[in-house]
Amino acid sequence: MSASDLLAAPPAGWDEPALPGEPAQGYWSSAFAKLRHDRSAIVCVLVLVAVVVACMAAPLYARYVLRGDPFQSNVSGTTMVGGKEVAVLQQATNGLGLGLTPIGPQWRFGPYMLGADSQGRDVAARLLYGGQNSLLIGGVATLICLTLAACTGLVAGFAGGVIDRIISIFLDVLWAFPIYLLAISLSIVLINESLHIGPITIGGNSLAVPMIIIGLVYVPYVARPVRGQVLSLRHSEFILAAEGIGASPVRILWREIFPNVFSTLVVFAPLMMALNILTEAALSFLSIGVQPPAASWGTIIHDGDGLIYTRPWVAIAPGIAIVITVLALNILGDSLRDALDPRAKVRLH
Amino acid sequence: MRWNRSLLGTAAASLLLAAQAQAAPTGGHYGGTLKLVAAAAEGTADPGVNYTLKYWQLFPMIYDGLVTFEKAGGKAAFNIIPDLATSLPTPTDGGKTYVFHLRKGIKFSNGKEVMPSDVAYTFTRLFKVLNPNAGTWYNVIVGGDACVKTPKTCVLPGVVADDKAGTVTFHLVHPDSEFLDQLAVPFGSIVPAGTPEKDMGTTPIPGTGAYMIKSYDPNKGMVMVRNPHFKQWDAKAQPWGYPNEITYTFGPTATAQTTAVENGQYDWMFELIPSDRLNEVATKYPHQIHVSPLLAYWYLEMNVNMKPFSNLDARLAVNYAIDRGAMVKLYGGPVLATPSCQVLPPGMPGYQPYCPFTKNPGTKWSAPDMAKAKALMAKSGMIGQKVTVITQNVEPYSGLGDYVQSVLNQLGFKASVKKISPDIEFTYLQNTKNKVQIGVTDWYQDYPAPSDFLNVLYSCANFHPGSDTSINMPGFCDKSIDAMMQKAMTVSLTNLAAADKIWAAVDRKVTDLASTATMFNPKHVDFTSKRLGNFVFSGQIQFLPDLAWVK
Amino acid sequence: MVSTILRRLAHMLFVMVGISALVFLIFFATPGTDPAARIAGRNATPATLAAVRHEFGLDRPLPVQYVLMMDHLFITQNLTSFVNRGEKIVPEIVEAAPVTLSLVLGAGVVWAAFGVLVGLLAAAFKDTVIDRALMVFSLIGVSMPVFWLGEVVNLVTQSRLHDTLLFSWVPTLGYVPLTQDPFGWFKALVLPWITLAVLYIGIYGRVLRANLVEALQEDYVRTARAKGLSARAVLIRHALRCSMISFVTLFGLDFGALVGGGALLTEVVFGLQGVGALTFHALEDLDLPMIMATVIYASFFVVISNAVVDILYAVFDPRVRAR
Repeated sequence: MSASDLLAAPPAGWDEPALPGEPAQGYWSSAFAKLRHDRSAIVCVLVLVAVVVACMAAPLYARYVLRGDPFQSNVSGTTMVGGKEVAVLQQATNGLGLGLTPIGPQWRFGPYMLGADSQGRDVAARLLYGGQNSLLIGGVATLICLTLAACTGLVAGFAGGVIDRIISIFLDVLWAFPIYLLAISLSIVLINESLHIGPITIGGNSLAVPMIIIGLVYVPYVARPVRGQVLSLRHSEFILAAEGIGASPVRILWREIFPNVFSTLVVFAPLMMALNILTEAALSFLSIGVQPPAASWGTIIHDGDGLIYTRPWVAIAPGIAIVITVLALNILGDSLRDALDPRAKVRLH
Repeated sequence: MRWNRSLLGTAAASLLLAAQAQAAPTGGHYGGTLKLVAAAAEGTADPGVNYTLKYWQLFPMIYDGLVTFEKAGGKAAFNIIPDLATSLPTPTDGGKTYVFHLRKGIKFSNGKEVMPSDVAYTFTRLFKVLNPNAGTWYNVIVGGDACVKTPKTCVLPGVVADDKAGTVTFHLVHPDSEFLDQLAVPFGSIVPAGTPEKDMGTTPIPGTGAYMIKSYDPNKGMVMVRNPHFKQWDAKAQPWGYPNEITYTFGPTATAQTTAVENGQYDWMFELIPSDRLNEVATKYPHQIHVSPLLAYWYLEMNVNMKPFSNLDARLAVNYAIDRGAMVKLYGGPVLATPSCQVLPPGMPGYQPYCPFTKNPGTKWSAPDMAKAKALMAKSGMIGQKVTVITQNVEPYSGLGDYVQSVLNQLGFKASVKKISPDIEFTYLQNTKNKVQIGVTDWYQDYPAPSDFLNVLYSCANFHPGSDTSINMPGFCDKSIDAMMQKAMTVSLTNLAAADKIWAAVDRKVTDLASTATMFNPKHVDFTSKRLGNFVFSGQIQFLPDLAWVK
Repeated sequence: MVSTILRRLAHMLFVMVGISALVFLIFFATPGTDPAARIAGRNATPATLAAVRHEFGLDRPLPVQYVLMMDHLFITQNLTSFVNRGEKIVPEIVEAAPVTLSLVLGAGVVWAAFGVLVGLLAAAFKDTVIDRALMVFSLIGVSMPVFWLGEVVNLVTQSRLHDTLLFSWVPTLGYVPLTQDPFGWFKALVLPWITLAVLYIGIYGRVLRANLVEALQEDYVRTARAKGLSARAVLIRHALRCSMISFVTLFGLDFGALVGGGALLTEVVFGLQGVGALTFHALEDLDLPMIMATVIYASFFVVISNAVVDILYAVFDPRVRAR
């Protein structure tokens, strides 16, 4: 590896992963066996399953517990508290009569258990519906990111030369590019227009917008280590041997290199999903992610921002949901790495 | 003419005052530093260019026009009184010629005396710096239209200065009932001849007011100090201010501002108190809260040239369906806003209460009529249409947008809401290329004339398809209403009461055609520090910083 | 070596030109961003609008506008804002930079100190309860959205517990210049420092622990232990020194990104008028000249810290040099 190769190589403390060589028979099954005995991994999987199930149950909560539509403003509505009918949004009566306060958390299973937001909507219900979107965006963005990163990393590392150099510049541009500008202008472009990419049409409120943006920005993050790995594999003995017996480049990429890269991608998957959920929250917090009336954990924190003094739980609750989910994903990522590739130092961010 | 409601015999007395040499008063409530705070600056400090509420609040104490709005609270705030001119001229030549006599001995903050040639220079400069209203207001001056077309070569034959006689004569293309209003707003601020003929941005231009801008940095703040060459000639037009220095800090968020004013770090905040803090502030500091009415309205604009709101029934359905009480709640409660159905706000000449879109139609809104709205929707055939509500991404716009989206869904539309930066929304709504269907917006008066609402916002002349400046946002154009408005403006030159009656009729007609849905008339809340005294709220300028006591 | 550095610089330049061109194009592809209308004012006539557009050169071909803007930004340095007319861009950034620098420097000290502490402790007590607890806390730190943490910190210190003895010293949100009031500067920044540092303490603690654990298994460390050096001495003198390379590398990169405006969310939540906040407000207002300047400024730091770290790495790490 020449110095200039290194310079264009991954920045963050990426040492290129050790070379596992061709994965041995039973590589995956032994990794799986290891995971099965990893208690924290199992706990994390259970936590994630619980979060997903709870979010999927959002319509049930809305229908049978809330008995209302959590996407409908309820500015003048009332609810029953302790047998009495009270306004969901309460007009101040003391002093000058200024200010409006949503009903606070009831702390019991029922309507408004976490209180209402400034539109009088049930926070608990929005938390569950919002979770669906946060998880979906996190997941799909991860798929997009890993797919693109694998392609660019493989091509750059395998082709080398000018192609590698161009891809490197492209990745650096993407890395230093302000994601927020992309998000803001896309959200304005798509107000009335739809984006047509081949057969797919993306409207302004589509979740595809944050999915694609988030999926795109972290491509360099994964593509660089993939490229580094391909680069070192390229000159390893078993590839040279394969070339020697006349295997085509496509075959080498697919049969020899990709399986090695794949385990890296698997290790990255939960970590990227954790990162993507955080990024989605940040975008939505700046109101350039998920668009209303749809919700995500980030948009609820944004809504709660305006109520932080009177009803802090609106902002705190989705934050806790994020921490739990992201923590579980991160621990799972650690366990996966230990199981699959004990020497690789995949960095969290 | 609007000015004749305000003819006051102040000219003689003030002439006397101007002749006397005076130093800035001391003692009593005079002195100290008044500290204002806002989240952000608002552009250039050039009075010929800046068209924002924030700086229009400051310009009256830094600059003077030939005439001005009286610096006072209550109704008097809308009186037009002479300022640099000795008296309000009576137009001659059928309302097309105005002759102003200038006061003698008034100096700019650079020490130069104000001459008629400065006035002429000021108005030519307005066109050269591309004043936003050059083509809507000041082109009434002879030669104005040519200047709008080619500002670089602008000469304005319609303004004749005679430095020897001390007079300035304006020749208009046609009589204009609002010409004096347009001279009294900050665009009419007289600046010294020789001021560069470009937007001066952050470089202060000398003025004749009691204060002058010492420094201005849009990311930090503005400092205003006493103008050393100022001598009071008329306390109603340009009084000695009380504070010796006025500082304006830019940066803190509304929440941080609230806390800082509570602690006395600042005396007044520009931003509204966040709704989250309103109750706390109002309970703890009731005497530092000032609620004042405004000539303004908040409304939903509906594009009448595009589906689904090209359909009158669909627009009426929206008008009947929206719960104006709920919207008032979202704005801050009944103390801060009053539901309304019509264009003109209470207190505006020509205002006659009118509300057809309510449970019991008449003069006052009481409750939404959802049954009627749904019937209208069924009739319109627009059920199932996709609608995008455009609003700003800050409260209370954001909450209102959410609410409207929710109501539209109840009506059977497939509605979504898009929230964009306040800085972009206003022009975004205007351009037909953006295909806006419905948007949340508002309008605050430039000066108290019904035409500033009805003619500006609903006349065919102010609808420019494909342009970012098309203030008639719904694209509403009705020839018969246009004719009525023209008539009202002509009549107002001679008979105000008759004109006001026509305006009231126009107001009703425009309301009935429902190209917009009025939500409410807002009130203004000011939150001041404990030490601040003599809070005066002018309906024209809002809070008057120069009259506040900090000692 | 020289050619390497030159090549690296050329690469940097390409990247920055690429970014600025992309920003420029995205801006002009976005509807409703026509600065002329905002410059012209509330109800300007189309004629006025056209005059403004001409005056600002907005009617010229895009490549010309791009070159003009770059000329104003770098050569004459008198580029002015589209939103606050007359506001010069370059001085604004020069003034915002100390705020960001104060924030990031302080946070850097906090995270480096605690990162080392966490890493050392965890490695020293490997596989004990202490190690586990530290690693879980680190992961929690990594898993928290920084803006949310900032909000919660504000909630506690500005509102709920502000009147108690514990937090009554917390000043109103905002920046206090160091030169004006050093203690006020410290008080205003200490909570943002901690908030921003939490994430990095988590990352650095974990990275350092992993490196240390690995280093302790290397031959030379084993030799040192065999020579009778105590476990602590080995950990600090040998293993830590050896692990510092990647630690410092990481620090350089994160520091560069943050100084360039990566601390945007922290700045916004704590009301600090730094480069990040400047960028965000410019983005919100779609103020192209300001966006251009801040984006180029940020990418400069990101790209240059990458380059410096890589070059240093090549110079100092014998293993890399050998290849």
